[in-house]
Amino acid sequence: MLNLSNFVQKAQQLLDPTQSLNITDSDRNPSKASLFQSQFRLPSSQHPLYEITAELTIPPPNATQGERDRDRGYQYAGKLHLSESYLCFSTTPSSFLQSASTSTSSIFTGQTHGGGPSGNGFTFPLSAVRRVERLHSQNFQFALAITTWNGISQDAAKDKDRKDLKEQRITIQLAGTRPACERFCDGLKKGLRSNVGNVSKLKKVVSECYSEYLLRTEDEKNANPPDAGLGMLFKYPGDPKKLRDRAKMRLWAEYLRDNGRNLTLIRQPTFHKLIRVGLPNRLRGEMWELSSGSIYLRLENPTLYADTLTKFSGQESLAIDEIEKDLNRSLPEYPGFQSEEGIGRLRRVLTAYSWVNADVGYCQAMNIVVAALLIYMSESQAFFLLSALCDRLVPGYYSTTMYGTLLDQKVFESLVEKTMPILWDHLVKSDVQLSVVSLPWFLSLYINSMPLVFAFRVLDVFFVEGPKVLFQVGLAILRINGEELLDATDDGAFISVLKSYFSRLDESAHPKSENPKLRAVTRFQELMVVAFKEFSGITHSSITESRLKNKDAVLNNIESFAKRTAIRNLGPDSKLLSADELGALYDRFYGVLYERQQRDHILQQEQARRAKSSRSRIPEAHHPSDDHGIEKGRVGLGPSTSLMDYDAFREFLAAMSKWAISDAPTTPRRDNFGDKQGGFYSSLRRADASLSPWGTGPEPADHEFLQRLFRKWDTGSTSALTLQNVVSGMARIKGKRDIMGTINYFFELHDDDGDGKVDREGILRMSEALLFLSRRGLEGTLSPPNPAMNVSGDGLNGGSDAPGQSVNERFLGSVSAFIRRCFEYADPDHPHNQNAIQDVQERLDAQRLEDSAAEELVNPDAFAIGDDDEDEDDDLLAMDSPTGSPRAAAKRSDHSAGEPPALQLNSSSTGLRTDDDAMVRRRVSKAQSERANAALDPSNPLHITLPTFRMVVLADELLEQFFESSFPASFHIIEGLASSATPTSASSLTTFSSLGMGAGRAVNAALGGGPGASAGGRGLRGVLDNIVTDGMRVAAEVRRRMEEAQKELEKNALPGQRNDEEEEEDEEEPGFERSSGAGKGSAYRGDAERRSVRSSDRDLLTGADAEASDTINRSTSNIEGSGGSGASDGNGSTTKNAEGAGKVMGVEFDG
Amino acid sequence: MADSGNAPKPSSSVKLVLLGEAAVGKSSLVLRFVNNDFQENKEPTIGAAFLTQKCNLPTRTIKFEIWDTAGQERFASLAPMYYRNAQAALVVYDLTKPTSLVKAKHWVAELQRQASPGIVIALVGNKLDLTNDEAGSGGDGESPGVDGEGDARKVTTDEAKTYADEEGLLFFETSAKTGYNVTEVFTAIANAIPETSLKTARGPGAAHAAARSEEQRVNLNGARDQNAKDGCAC
Repeated sequence: MLNLSNFVQKAQQLLDPTQSLNITDSDRNPSKASLFQSQFRLPSSQHPLYEITAELTIPPPNATQGERDRDRGYQYAGKLHLSESYLCFSTTPSSFLQSASTSTSSIFTGQTHGGGPSGNGFTFPLSAVRRVERLHSQNFQFALAITTWNGISQDAAKDKDRKDLKEQRITIQLAGTRPACERFCDGLKKGLRSNVGNVSKLKKVVSECYSEYLLRTEDEKNANPPDAGLGMLFKYPGDPKKLRDRAKMRLWAEYLRDNGRNLTLIRQPTFHKLIRVGLPNRLRGEMWELSSGSIYLRLENPTLYADTLTKFSGQESLAIDEIEKDLNRSLPEYPGFQSEEGIGRLRRVLTAYSWVNADVGYCQAMNIVVAALLIYMSESQAFFLLSALCDRLVPGYYSTTMYGTLLDQKVFESLVEKTMPILWDHLVKSDVQLSVVSLPWFLSLYINSMPLVFAFRVLDVFFVEGPKVLFQVGLAILRINGEELLDATDDGAFISVLKSYFSRLDESAHPKSENPKLRAVTRFQELMVVAFKEFSGITHSSITESRLKNKDAVLNNIESFAKRTAIRNLGPDSKLLSADELGALYDRFYGVLYERQQRDHILQQEQARRAKSSRSRIPEAHHPSDDHGIEKGRVGLGPSTSLMDYDAFREFLAAMSKWAISDAPTTPRRDNFGDKQGGFYSSLRRADASLSPWGTGPEPADHEFLQRLFRKWDTGSTSALTLQNVVSGMARIKGKRDIMGTINYFFELHDDDGDGKVDREGILRMSEALLFLSRRGLEGTLSPPNPAMNVSGDGLNGGSDAPGQSVNERFLGSVSAFIRRCFEYADPDHPHNQNAIQDVQERLDAQRLEDSAAEELVNPDAFAIGDDDEDEDDDLLAMDSPTGSPRAAAKRSDHSAGEPPALQLNSSSTGLRTDDDAMVRRRVSKAQSERANAALDPSNPLHITLPTFRMVVLADELLEQFFESSFPASFHIIEGLASSATPTSASSLTTFSSLGMGAGRAVNAALGGGPGASAGGRGLRGVLDNIVTDGMRVAAEVRRRMEEAQKELEKNALPGQRNDEEEEEDEEEPGFERSSGAGKGSAYRGDAERRSVRSSDRDLLTGADAEASDTINRSTSNIEGSGGSGASDGNGSTTKNAEGAGKVMGVEFDG
Repeated sequence: MADSGNAPKPSSSVKLVLLGEAAVGKSSLVLRFVNNDFQENKEPTIGAAFLTQKCNLPTRTIKFEIWDTAGQERFASLAPMYYRNAQAALVVYDLTKPTSLVKAKHWVAELQRQASPGIVIALVGNKLDLTNDEAGSGGDGESPGVDGEGDARKVTTDEAKTYADEEGLLFFETSAKTGYNVTEVFTAIANAIPETSLKTARGPGAAHAAARSEEQRVNLNGARDQNAKDGCAC
């Protein structure tokens, strides 16, 4: 609950509309809470719970001010707001009543336009409310008398002091319906009750305020005054006489006596005027923290500063190193910072802040600002004021990308262009970049630009009225110096004009004037007048608007710079990729992270909203971390996620590679891997469950291969990838374009312990991976088979579908052969496998056994899936149309090193099985095959080495091409996948269901429209079906033709012509079957089986079928370890493999 | 480097930017060049500091407008603002800190890709006084190396020189502390600036203002040289 509500806070935390810089949504429509927080400068924990129209009556002052209205006091009409811990009142500019004291006050009411504590009223912490009484009133139904804890620190003193202190008591009349008033009062009661406990905090905070000391009677003052900054030790900058500090102090003392001090201060027009004339030194810190609202942060957690220092004491960080470098160079002209005392304070405040807001850490210029603050306030006060600055007053100024600074420079430039077009034209013509001059003004809040005394005057107003003050002052500076600036034609001249202006701010603005009054006006006064009168049109909202307008451009600039830099800083691996590829990788990497974060954000907001509605709000302790980094992810905004977890990685790949897109809309389980890795991915699984959506993109697949790739790339074993990891990983695949490299890489991926050996399971996984990668078809340059072998004009690269299918189909065959060969060569003890080039005859003898072994390994999953026969039969339809197989077979036979077709036939036949009664036989044959082939014996471990793997791959043209071209080419780094090319359904899968169906498009189309899941599942099963049906049809022919085929092989004959004919025949048959199936949709299962299976075939096939089922049993056990999750994926691919083989055979012999 | 009278030699200004990792001594190099001074604690540069200094060549006078940028990493994104239109760049690394050379290489690459074409780049390894090299420690007779007898050098001259040659950069090893080789860097840059790029004043519309701005420079010189000491941008 706590976390959720924190998130709400974050989301709504736009204390200042400008902070909405961070949140795109709320940019344009800041939430009510954020506006509320912004108006009263309240912490993000506060939300507007109740509000009601009311009239505030302040009793007549007991002191000197205002004779008139003595009897009634001051009255203001406005709105009363209640939040969890605050009671706030504010007038609106128009509601200012006649009875108020001065006419000029209206100028001030609207200055912040709701962006700060403007207008008249108060912001009382509920803990500062001592008593609320209901009064009887004739005018209103409800009138409340509120007594505050004003002067609480004196309260503790002896009774005799009490009489000096007049209780602060104000009256509020509520104007609303009775129920509304009652609701408000109930809320107030509740709030007061829950805040009773905070009075001690209040006391502590208040005791550090100088006003408490100031208002004490003289005889009490021997007590140590609260810390009002280094100025108390080292003198405040400037000449106090010239600053008329004593007079100001007297005025403030009077004001505070009448209107309450620090947390119980009531703002009346005089308050704003007093600020405009400059704060007295010892009250400056307190008024800064009050007007900026940082005092409310301090009230929430008065010990945070000390606690932070204790907590992190002795720890080191990069920020601390950076801070150390600058400590001696922060306002070095001020004596306080030439002393250990001053330096120590500066160090502690900066360090503490860098801990609580590690995202910002430390930025040069913060040292100057904090140094300035420390002259007037205590460390703790400066610490919280720095928070308020970074989080809401100048958001993004000090972030790691400094986007706030750059953005405000753009805004400033646009304002100059609008308000001073002539000067702007001149700047453009002279090619002077304004921000070169103005950036330091904003970044250091003029502290580094103007003499300190004047910079502090600017700050006085800035903390009340907000960031627009920086713009107003900047514009005024340019306006005043306009003439001279028009003469300056380069950066240097421009800078020196302004430099000399700043150095003469204390001089008379009109030295030659006859009028002594005019002569007395200093340049600084002139500056203030110009800034706030002439540029009064610069408001909070106009700044906000302009920020919105420029935000994107600024962020894009930063991001392109960051991108350039990041790409350049990638290691030597990156040289293997082209600049475009690197750029695209970068974009994809951060794009995925950003989008995921946004989705998370939205989701969490949604959850929070739900949570919120289901419970009442509870005031919570302030968490400093709540205040920053609302929306990260976008690189330009500062520290963003730069780590990609596994799910993000899947999404990342799915945008580039067809094979990385899930076949089914549901995420497959991922158990095996997690189990094997001891929960390596357990956290990921959880994430999966909570947020399913993958945005607009396709759902990424989850396959063991992806996990392997992820782990391989995750060189630091941190379960997360950096951009560097991704680039290095990609460079190994796509970088060299060298087949050996790719083959090696693929081998390494499956060599778990790095011993150069891949065991039985590894081989299976490799083949699964191959099938996984190819299931949507192969890409890259695939040379057509030897033209001589090529049956007809419809080469592989032809435009028609049939050739494409045939490639994919052939690939299934290749993978099947791959497995078989792997096992052949893996077992060094097997006499038949000793030599790479085998006597055909010998192999024929051995083939049956080996085939069964291979089959066993290939098929097991398939059987696991389609356990009952009915299921298996579902997809028979898909099976019997292996159009391309003749060619594939022909091609394979073409390879001298290749195995005789007969062999393949056998393997296909192994997959056949239809009847339950075959089980017995299966078991028998399983035992036989185990006996016969050591490779199958689980107790007889085997492995292949890299050279073997290479040899096996290179023995097959298609595999070779796969590694040479299509695997690397399957990563579409730059262009990505067209959205149309990323179907979520299985329609584009090269599985048994789509494979080899010459006319299968009809089926596919039908399936594609339907639920993708079923299509995917069917695809896997279809592989089985294929095996079964093909096997059935073919098996009868097998033995009969075995010898014939063998002869053909030996002769190395060119069976092209004949194959062609056969193919045509084949095509007809499957075509018709398929179309009927398509028409019937899901109902086609039974039909298809019946149609494709001929009874005569069944008999022949039973034996093979039995073997296949053996395989199943065995294989299930094999695979369990590898990727049970994958049940669908892994099994599917295995099945496909088998199917391919089966189909190939079937076609050839069918004819 | 003092003004050698008002010789009628042609005078032109050159915008030069200093880049490099934090604390490699960029500001100190400038301070040494401009004021022949060295400070242990210099005010930090917010954004960038602007200083000027003249450099007399036999045939002409070059006036350097030096932009000394902040070294902190996050200020890097502001750098384009400062190296824009620069005709020369000093990329500085600390020869006791190998990472600073890496960073310097990044800056070189950035400049080569993003700055004005034909920019003259000098790679400068600073803090030679911390090594045992005679040249560096000999300069002003200051004691070598903070570590006493230890040689803190971590980047060999060869390594940096090779890189500089590959990239076509001027290369120097300097000590801002002793002053060794500092003036030479700027003189070499002044000499390397092609005559042509001096004549074409930078920026649009600058041509007609050239004469006027020249006058102004003379007027401003006094004030600016004074200002140069505090090294603040404005």
